[in-house]
Amino acid sequence: MIPLRSFILLGAMLLAWEFAARSGLWNPLLFPSLVNIGDEFIRFVGGTSGLHEAWVSLYRALGGFALAAVVGVSIGILMGRSALAAALLDPLFSGTYAVPKLALFPIFIFVFGIGSLSKVALVFLECLYPIVIITYQGARNVSPILIWSAENMGASRARIFGRIVIPATVPFIFAGFRVALPVAMIVVIITEMISSADGLGYLVIYSLSSLQTDRMLAVVLAIAILGYALDRLLIVLRSRLVYWEKLETFYV
Amino acid sequence: MPIARVGLLLVVLAIWQVFWMRGLPDYALGPVEILKHFVAALATRELYEHIGASLMRALPGFVIGSAFGIALGLVAGTARWFDDMLSPAVFMTYPVPKIVMLPLFMLWFGIGDLSKILIIALACFYPTFINAYYGAKATPRILVWSGLNMGAGKWRIFSRVVVPSALPLVFAGLRVSLALSFIVMFATEMINARSGLGFLIQEAENSMRFDLMYTSLLSIAILGYAGDQLLRLGRRRVLAWQEPSA
Repeated sequence: MIPLRSFILLGAMLLAWEFAARSGLWNPLLFPSLVNIGDEFIRFVGGTSGLHEAWVSLYRALGGFALAAVVGVSIGILMGRSALAAALLDPLFSGTYAVPKLALFPIFIFVFGIGSLSKVALVFLECLYPIVIITYQGARNVSPILIWSAENMGASRARIFGRIVIPATVPFIFAGFRVALPVAMIVVIITEMISSADGLGYLVIYSLSSLQTDRMLAVVLAIAILGYALDRLLIVLRSRLVYWEKLETFYV
Repeated sequence: MPIARVGLLLVVLAIWQVFWMRGLPDYALGPVEILKHFVAALATRELYEHIGASLMRALPGFVIGSAFGIALGLVAGTARWFDDMLSPAVFMTYPVPKIVMLPLFMLWFGIGDLSKILIIALACFYPTFINAYYGAKATPRILVWSGLNMGAGKWRIFSRVVVPSALPLVFAGLRVSLALSFIVMFATEMINARSGLGFLIQEAENSMRFDLMYTSLLSIAILGYAGDQLLRLGRRRVLAWQEPSA
């Protein structure tokens, strides 16, 4: 049960906004009324074109994320279980971790074109890092006692991998996903704002350039809801799959 | 092991160079070429001006956002009523890409540096808040009880028990938000700026100056790496008592 206090701050902020909108002190372009934003939002969700743009962004974000999930988890587990792979790949990942991969975007445009592919490739690259690093951390720290016991009881290497290493790493994999999923959304929106002719990020810039701030904020709201919904979805999925671990460890 | 690391890097660079000499499209320069252009650009004033402009946006944003994030996160992790009031709002907006607020900030605060600094601060706030929050929450009860038993006041417990025990996570949050500040800085400069590394790369792309593109790319890579190393150095200093792990 969420206490009532939780809504005080949010409510106060919304009230202050509406007050600023109605006071007439500022141009309505700067603080469009919540009513107008709501109208635009309903129009946005109701029409097919809005949903189409949302689908385009979602497709790019999830495409890159899914690729990064498959590749990242594989690399992470490989690094965690093989000292050679860790020695070779760890400096590569931790060395370039703090480098903004976004800087590669102009080059990606030349390589992959200005369509979806360059954006999916950048999402893939940005999502790869948290997934690899956190999966690696999990796979490396599988309790050796569990592995020794299984070996003692005559389990094969494949069986140990499938029954011990993977389940012990899954909570970390989800923690990596949880970091990477908002990153996917961020990168898609940024790249669409920089160079695109479709998608939600483009719509934000387009509404701004045509000075329709209420429309722009409706799109921002849609992006916010999308980001929030994806996060919730991941939490539900995790509590189904990783029922034995509490949510406390979700942030690594 | 260090030999294997350097070896791998050299092999990759060598393969790249060989491929480049055998002919790659215009946009792919060889490592030697990139280095040559970079060294040449280092001798000019222009590059330093762009780097300075970028840092003047990223660093203030990082400092403001992290200071608020750490302070509010520590308090929210300690005081129940503050937690109830602030945390739901923060956690609900956490998965939202903060960069979408940039157009609005540009309307409110102008298209100059202020809107960029504030959007960077907003982006940096979240990871530091969440890490400081969980760090403070995870303070071992026994330490707090012992402190209370020995007659320490509330403020003393906060500054001597809660803050030190949250510090490792605080640094983890700082590391994420430093990386984030560079990303957001770069994005804002690519979207709308007249100076900075993001502007430089955008300009280079529009005029097909691939040498400039790679110079800007290399500069931002070095800056990001240097910032991260500096932060790790600071962490080792401050957290000398903690076992080195991540």
